[in-house]
Amino acid sequence: MTVQADPRLVAELEIYGAQDVLKCYHCGNCTAVCPFSKAPFIFPRKSMRYLQMGLREKLKSNLEPWLCYYCGECSEQCPREAEPGETMMSMRRWLTAQYDFTGISNLLYRSWKMELLGIIVLAILTGLGFYMFGTATGDIHKYDGPGAFLPSAVIHAFDWTMATILSTFLLINCGRMWWFTMGRDPEHRATPAMYARRAGLLLLHFFTQKRYSECDRKGPWRLHIVLMLSYVSMLVLIMFFLPMMQAGPAVNWWAHAFGYAATAGLLITVAMALWGRVQKSATHYKHSHETDWIFLIMLFYVALTGILQHACHRLGSPYAANILYLAHLMGVVPMLVLEVPFSKWAHMCYRPLAMYFSHVQVDAMAAKESAAAETLPA
Amino acid sequence: MSKARIGVYFCTRGNGPNPSLDYKALATYAAALPLVVEVKHLGTSPTLDPVALAKELTAKQVTTVVIAAPSPGYFKTAFTRAMALAGGDPEAIRLASFREHGGGFESPTERAKAVLACAVMDVPFGLAAVPAPSPVHPDTLVVGGGIAGIQAALEIADAGKKVYLVERTPTIGGHMAMFDKTFPTLDCAACILTPKMVAVDQHENIELMTWSEVEEVTGRPGAFKVKIRKKARYVDLDACVACNDCSAICPVSTDSEFDSSISQRKAIYIPFPQAIPNAFVVDAQHCTYLQSGGTKCGACVKKCSKDAIHFEDKDEIVEVEVGNIILATGYEVFDATRMERYGYGKLPNVITALEFERLTNASGPTGGTIVMKSKQFNKRTKQEEWVFDPDGPRPKSVAIIHCVGSRDRNYNPYCSRVCCMYSLKFAHLVKEKLQDAKCYEFYIDMRAYGKGYEEFFERIKDEGIHVVRGVSARVKEVDGQLYLRGEDILEDKVVELPVDMVLLAVGLEPDKSACDISKMLGVPRDDGGWFHESDYNTDPTGTDRGGIFVAGVCQGPKDIPDTVAQASAAAASVLKTILRKQGSESNSDLTLATIENRARQLAKN
Repeated sequence: MTVQADPRLVAELEIYGAQDVLKCYHCGNCTAVCPFSKAPFIFPRKSMRYLQMGLREKLKSNLEPWLCYYCGECSEQCPREAEPGETMMSMRRWLTAQYDFTGISNLLYRSWKMELLGIIVLAILTGLGFYMFGTATGDIHKYDGPGAFLPSAVIHAFDWTMATILSTFLLINCGRMWWFTMGRDPEHRATPAMYARRAGLLLLHFFTQKRYSECDRKGPWRLHIVLMLSYVSMLVLIMFFLPMMQAGPAVNWWAHAFGYAATAGLLITVAMALWGRVQKSATHYKHSHETDWIFLIMLFYVALTGILQHACHRLGSPYAANILYLAHLMGVVPMLVLEVPFSKWAHMCYRPLAMYFSHVQVDAMAAKESAAAETLPA
Repeated sequence: MSKARIGVYFCTRGNGPNPSLDYKALATYAAALPLVVEVKHLGTSPTLDPVALAKELTAKQVTTVVIAAPSPGYFKTAFTRAMALAGGDPEAIRLASFREHGGGFESPTERAKAVLACAVMDVPFGLAAVPAPSPVHPDTLVVGGGIAGIQAALEIADAGKKVYLVERTPTIGGHMAMFDKTFPTLDCAACILTPKMVAVDQHENIELMTWSEVEEVTGRPGAFKVKIRKKARYVDLDACVACNDCSAICPVSTDSEFDSSISQRKAIYIPFPQAIPNAFVVDAQHCTYLQSGGTKCGACVKKCSKDAIHFEDKDEIVEVEVGNIILATGYEVFDATRMERYGYGKLPNVITALEFERLTNASGPTGGTIVMKSKQFNKRTKQEEWVFDPDGPRPKSVAIIHCVGSRDRNYNPYCSRVCCMYSLKFAHLVKEKLQDAKCYEFYIDMRAYGKGYEEFFERIKDEGIHVVRGVSARVKEVDGQLYLRGEDILEDKVVELPVDMVLLAVGLEPDKSACDISKMLGVPRDDGGWFHESDYNTDPTGTDRGGIFVAGVCQGPKDIPDTVAQASAAAASVLKTILRKQGSESNSDLTLATIENRARQLAKN
């Protein structure tokens, strides 16, 4: 196999947020500092090397960026101030763009103006669509029951349609991730049995982020797990219990207790993350890519408008509730459409998949080695 | 020939313009210089397009270009091309190099103006900025009694001129006296140094002042008046025969500086048996008699058969007049406790380079046996302590970590130059004394740059030492076993290595006294704190202050051969002024007007 070196690779990664990559003089301190760096996944120094040498394909088939949780110790102790942690972060952004077959991801990461434009266009379309639908079929002064402005059944159906489309995109991208990291490399080719044996890891890492919790610093994991669980709770509530959520005005504690907890979780953790980035209070908050800001602000906006429309409804102001509901949808739709398959949200699939694939890779390589050992003459 | 029309173009490079340079003032100054028709600032790290430049040159009818920048040479090519394109003389490009001629001055803008004026008038700066001659007193002061100071003092004294050698500690010898072997020849350091120390002591032209510090320097180049504080030693140098009776009876123990604190000395002590002057000294801070105001102890006075101990001694101020001063203040090693990840100060068997030098030295506390620290009960303090016991356990594996505190932007960005080689020397010594021990070197880049050094590196590898490319990230202790985690870059793996002992190859930092002396004498220092030489390539021993020279590590990290060479060179520079009976005033005292006038005169001729 020929290896092609691309001298423009570093410049390309810099668009995704990489910094000072060329300062690295390969002392290996970062790798040794990292508690996760274990053979055969030795990082971040090796990834820095791939980058400096312009090994695009090698980087594309690299699972290591997903195995890093950016505790920041490598960057803090780097004798060259080469920011290996931030480089790993930028590689995750870059990989997200590489996995995406549509090219939209690439566009969003390269230009925050494009992303903002996308958000605005989608928000206007959503707002106009629902407003026209709502005024045609219902009354803006009615929140629930017959003749409601945005009836829960309609929104529910819309949610499922959107989920199906977005999941399809995301699944295709996951398939491409598999191809780049596992499928196309004979070294990593594994049997279905190997995949089956490790399948449990997917769920484990999705729900617990167990690996993140193994970082020396626990704070970021705690924040992340609360944010993630809040988000997943909200997702489940909306996807399966939306009619129950939207019914009222009495509070249905069965569903709403979860809703309140999840909203509080989202608002608090997102505010903390935003404040951390403003203050640059930790190494992983020191450098913020434009997409980080947009993502956090969108999430905060969506959680806030969600709870406000709910409150207005309960407080007996259906008009305000409907307007806020509309505003909420104008945030939710662009956020999900752009972030889930094409941007930061995609990591909810890529991270557990990378953990899963990494174990399968190790199994596959071990099997190859033992097979090779058997064929050797005694 | 018509008159030249000069264009002055400012450019800066790299980390932006030097914040201490006032470019606005420079531009105004340049515009007022004769024949200057155009002044322009092209920005920081500009990408110069020769075609566009050529158009500008044509428009302003510029026939001669002056590029004014910290490093103007970088931009010369573009201007040469532009000049050719504009149909002018591509040779008519002059450089005003602020960095080359203006480093480290109190008012860099004034100096930059002078550099600019010389370039505009086409006079080499070195010809215009000539310090005035000054008469020279034939005596010399050498500050610092390490190998650099010793070498410089001996060279001048051997030439028949008087030298005052001032040393802050009780003995001369400096760091070299602490070393076991020199690299790459593996000579015994003491065997080379001690004869030189004795020669200093016995030399008729050298007045040795140990346990003394330079307090004040006044006067002018060629005629300095120096006040030296001779600290009270409480021991009569002439009477003391170094019999050790006082030390034997002294009840107070404290860490021995000479043994890098790995052994104890008494409050009345001699740093090491071959110390020069060969006499004891009282450590007033620890002496019971002095601390109690003469009410307690005093055992040594009674014991001394030569009546050499005089507790009534007071500090003495000596004034001397000298023509030249050689600074040889040396270095101190990087404080390894600053890098917490290596556990130095907490883990007993993580030790620094100087501690290992003493440990492996035949005159050290273990007689040169390499042992691990073992826990012992100290009867006096009634506490368990980690000490090097000559009968203690021998390490079965030793790891050496390079670049501790050096080449690291969080600490010192520079390379300390000696650590790679002394680390290789350590590996050899470990292997020589403990044949079965495993020895690992964790390095980033192996800097074996001197004569015979690369060969020494090859030899070490042949001796079975594991040389690992990759710096270790941390040292931790689990159940009494040290573990060192690092990346083996060439083997492509992360190693978690159990070792018995870790040696930290700490880098060099300027001696703290350098800061005071720098202020006292007005000798500027570099970013790293090292004394700024007057010209890196052609005058590495001179400074911008007339009559003041530098030698050894105080000018920048270097090994023993380089230190000795520089010390001899500094001595030669001093001797030149004495023999010609003429030195020079300070380059840094030259005013803008002086340089301008001289340049104008030269330009006329």
